[in-house]
Amino acid sequence: MRPYSKFFILGFRQMIPVTTGVIPFGAVMGTVFYNSGLSFFQSMTMNIFMYSGSAQLASIDLMTKHAASAVVIATGLVINLRFLLYSAGLSPYLQQSGFWTKVVCAHTLTDQSYAVMSANTNILKTKTEAVSFYLGTALCMWLVWQSSVVAGFIFGNFAPTSWSLDFAVPLSFVALVIPTLKNYKYVAVAAFSSALSILFYGLPFKLGLIATALCAIALALVLTKRETRS
Amino acid sequence: MIETSYFWFIFVCLMTGTFIIRGSLIAAASQVKISDRAKEVFSFIPAAILPAFIAPFAFFHEGQAQWVLGKERFLVLVVATAVCMATRSTVATICFGLSALYVITQYLT
Repeated sequence: MRPYSKFFILGFRQMIPVTTGVIPFGAVMGTVFYNSGLSFFQSMTMNIFMYSGSAQLASIDLMTKHAASAVVIATGLVINLRFLLYSAGLSPYLQQSGFWTKVVCAHTLTDQSYAVMSANTNILKTKTEAVSFYLGTALCMWLVWQSSVVAGFIFGNFAPTSWSLDFAVPLSFVALVIPTLKNYKYVAVAAFSSALSILFYGLPFKLGLIATALCAIALALVLTKRETRS
Repeated sequence: MIETSYFWFIFVCLMTGTFIIRGSLIAAASQVKISDRAKEVFSFIPAAILPAFIAPFAFFHEGQAQWVLGKERFLVLVVATAVCMATRSTVATICFGLSALYVITQYLT
């Protein structure tokens, strides 16, 4: 590790500007935990071992509405399906790594650390450098996320409601999605998904999100198929 | 209130499932070759899922009964999307969205 620690530090530093979007998101997550009536222990256990903000937000929301367990689990996992993409993206760098490095890298996969990693692949010459860099981003993300959730849990409910801090969550998601829209097909899928989710909102058993996600992925399948044929 | 056993059961399933999703292709990489087509479809996943999470969140903020009124959050979100496309900045998007919503809810309604 030592010869490559400069890449670890570089990764950590590259992540710092990105965390400005993570802090409000974490603070909202902490506030949502607090308002849901979960204990601090329950909240932080979930936050450390599940470690995926958007799926946590959705599942806490459904749990407070007493949705069926299967619906809560399916919704959370559908939201986290996007980690398949990141897992595929990271796997080439990890082929020579040890078991525990793989476990740590897998567990700490987030939208943000993957985005920073893929934006910097041009400066990472070897797999070891890439893994060090990634671990740096992951540690920075982990520290910022956990501490902002703790801060949100303790102080979040002191922020005046007129500030509408919870609105920072959809806003930070917009900032997450926009860079992934590489051409009109991605824009079409995203627009289709937004419109359909509003139409499907009233579906029974809170199935709207899963139904929308499956339809939008089906659209992506159709759009990419047309491309490979021509 | 969220019942304790209900919470722990869901948590354990979500934790396990999420770890399997995150680890699957890292673990499988040496055995399985991931096709370019699969990778391309995977790259659509954020676009397919995240909007479905945020759009109703903003659109139905005032509840399901109101289809016309109380849509300021949705409007701000649409404009913030344009701001984000122009600036590519998370901070700018959040600052714009929060201050626009504050101005609208405090002074315009």
